[in-house]
Amino acid sequence: MNYPSLVYANLMRNKLRTVLTFGAVSLAVMLVVFLLTMPAGLDALLNSIASNTRVSVHNKAGIVYSLPYAYVRKVRLVGGVAAAVGTTWFGGAYEEDGRVTFPNFAVEAEHVGAVYPDYGIAPQHLDDFRRYRDGALVGRQTMKRYGWKIGDRITLKSTVWAVNLDLRIVGEIPLERSPVVWIQRDYLDEALVAQRGHGLGIVHVIWVRLEDPNRVEEVMRTIDDLFRNSEAETASETEKSFFGNFFASLKGFITVVLLVTVLVAACVVVIAANTASMSIRERGREIAVLKALGFPRRVVFATLLAESALLCTSAGIVGVALAYVFTHGLRSFAAVIPSLGPLGSFLVTPGVAAQGLLLAVVVGVFSGLVPAWGAARKPVAEAFHELF
Amino acid sequence: MSWLPSQEEPLVRTVAVSRIYRRGVDEIRALDRVSLAIPPGRFVAFMGPSGSGKSTLMNLLAGLDRPSEGEVWVAGQRLDTLDEEELAAWRARHVGLIFQFFNLIPVLNARDNVALPLLLTHLDKRERLRRAEIALRIVGLEDRASHYPRTLSGGEQQRVAIARALVTDPDLIVADEPTGDLDARNAEAILALLRRLRADFGKTIIMVTHDPRALRFVDMAFHLDKGTLLEGEEATRAHEAILVAAGGGMTGGSLHELPESRVRELDAE
Repeated sequence: MNYPSLVYANLMRNKLRTVLTFGAVSLAVMLVVFLLTMPAGLDALLNSIASNTRVSVHNKAGIVYSLPYAYVRKVRLVGGVAAAVGTTWFGGAYEEDGRVTFPNFAVEAEHVGAVYPDYGIAPQHLDDFRRYRDGALVGRQTMKRYGWKIGDRITLKSTVWAVNLDLRIVGEIPLERSPVVWIQRDYLDEALVAQRGHGLGIVHVIWVRLEDPNRVEEVMRTIDDLFRNSEAETASETEKSFFGNFFASLKGFITVVLLVTVLVAACVVVIAANTASMSIRERGREIAVLKALGFPRRVVFATLLAESALLCTSAGIVGVALAYVFTHGLRSFAAVIPSLGPLGSFLVTPGVAAQGLLLAVVVGVFSGLVPAWGAARKPVAEAFHELF
Repeated sequence: MSWLPSQEEPLVRTVAVSRIYRRGVDEIRALDRVSLAIPPGRFVAFMGPSGSGKSTLMNLLAGLDRPSEGEVWVAGQRLDTLDEEELAAWRARHVGLIFQFFNLIPVLNARDNVALPLLLTHLDKRERLRRAEIALRIVGLEDRASHYPRTLSGGEQQRVAIARALVTDPDLIVADEPTGDLDARNAEAILALLRRLRADFGKTIIMVTHDPRALRFVDMAFHLDKGTLLEGEEATRAHEAILVAAGGGMTGGSLHELPESRVRELDAE
């Protein structure tokens, strides 16, 4: 027998209690680790979809407000702009209940390829998109979700423009998690002229690809200056910033979740402390005997503290492993279940794993600290008086 | 009150030792100016009614507690000046403890229970286990080394506890009512075992007991009452009362020390 086996034997004296505490700490660490993957996961997702040479130009009052369509042509003339495409929210619903289940925009077919060269859209698909006025380019995620194929015909009912458009899928936007659908602006324009006598006339966001990533700030400032004091002033921002704003509300949610996680961790400390306290209190007589045999306070304290530290650390390792398996499982599922969305971006990095383990060690040490110190510091004569 | 031998250098010596407990404004004098000396290699009983101070005195001699006044010397070390940690270190080297309720660690088998005090030494694991097995052999439990306390009888558990007290080869073994939780047969066996430790290994054993049978096995008996060590007529009366209670079949000899003839007789047994 040695000290580790003494600690282990004491830990195993009430197996049910040990297993339950182990489970509670494991699950808590798993939860915390999973939540800790979220900020980095969102950032990674943002970096994967955002180009460093693409900027958005939208109404300064917000993206729900439109810009005159004429702005697009003016933006294309700004120095440093390689290409620009006007996008207008179509808000088309595919399903019967009228819900918009994927983002869909009317875009200028002849310009979209030049603004999104990094999307890897097949030249043939871009050609067909230009050729067919009812053509649509569909993101891979949405293709998978509805089982669509190139050549299929679909109808989208706009929730914005009071028109229904019959569309032909002419190509795929081959980004793994892209849900977006692009339709031809001219096709929507014609439909609106037929329906109400005048065309679209506006855009919601102008996406601009710049020639030089080092001139992003300068070109954005030039564009915004161009429309200063106009009827619709613009606000330009990088693509990362643009999508970051979409995720901002999610980040707020994550902050709340992280706060809740801290509370969960605090609860687990209290639970583990209660377990350690009960375990130590039940062994008052044995601890007094150890001291009587000559075990110094520091050794008694260390062996008692080691019990909770060992329990929580091993539970933490299991918790991190569970989180690792869970996030990898989500990643696998997200590839085939598009509705899981960004959940597939969350991965347990070594840094996050280390934070989870650190949490487990902290829980172990804090939960055992007070009861172990209380038991160790009591003079042996006093302990004997109380117990014998 | 005092009783001090003159012939031999004592292993245990107290000088006017008092132990006072304070509860609020009240003072309880559990031990009052007790002086005694115990030569090495003796088997000694502290006897007296509940509250007489015998356990308090035992705690002081075992280094479990410190006196409020007076001096305690054991094996040449003055104990009353040591702090809690120094006393713990001293106990680990010099004292073996035996308790009424055995107080074995239930999650350790007999061998590991016996080896427990050796964790405080620099011996390696193999040597610790070897010594634990020797100690178990001395108490006749070598075949029970792998058994856990719950599978041992009361008498066997107490023998494991005695092996644990013996394993560090201490100068002094202190036993608190070692027969208090045992039936008559096991109680006699334990007393005989303690007696044998004194005879075979020259151990000094101090035992607190109510058991009148103990007088048949010990070399010396001290009687305490109300925190004081009885002497003279009072001690004689207390001693004889115990002998009578034991059935009158014993010859108690000297109050504090049995005659050498009786010691040889007991050793022969």
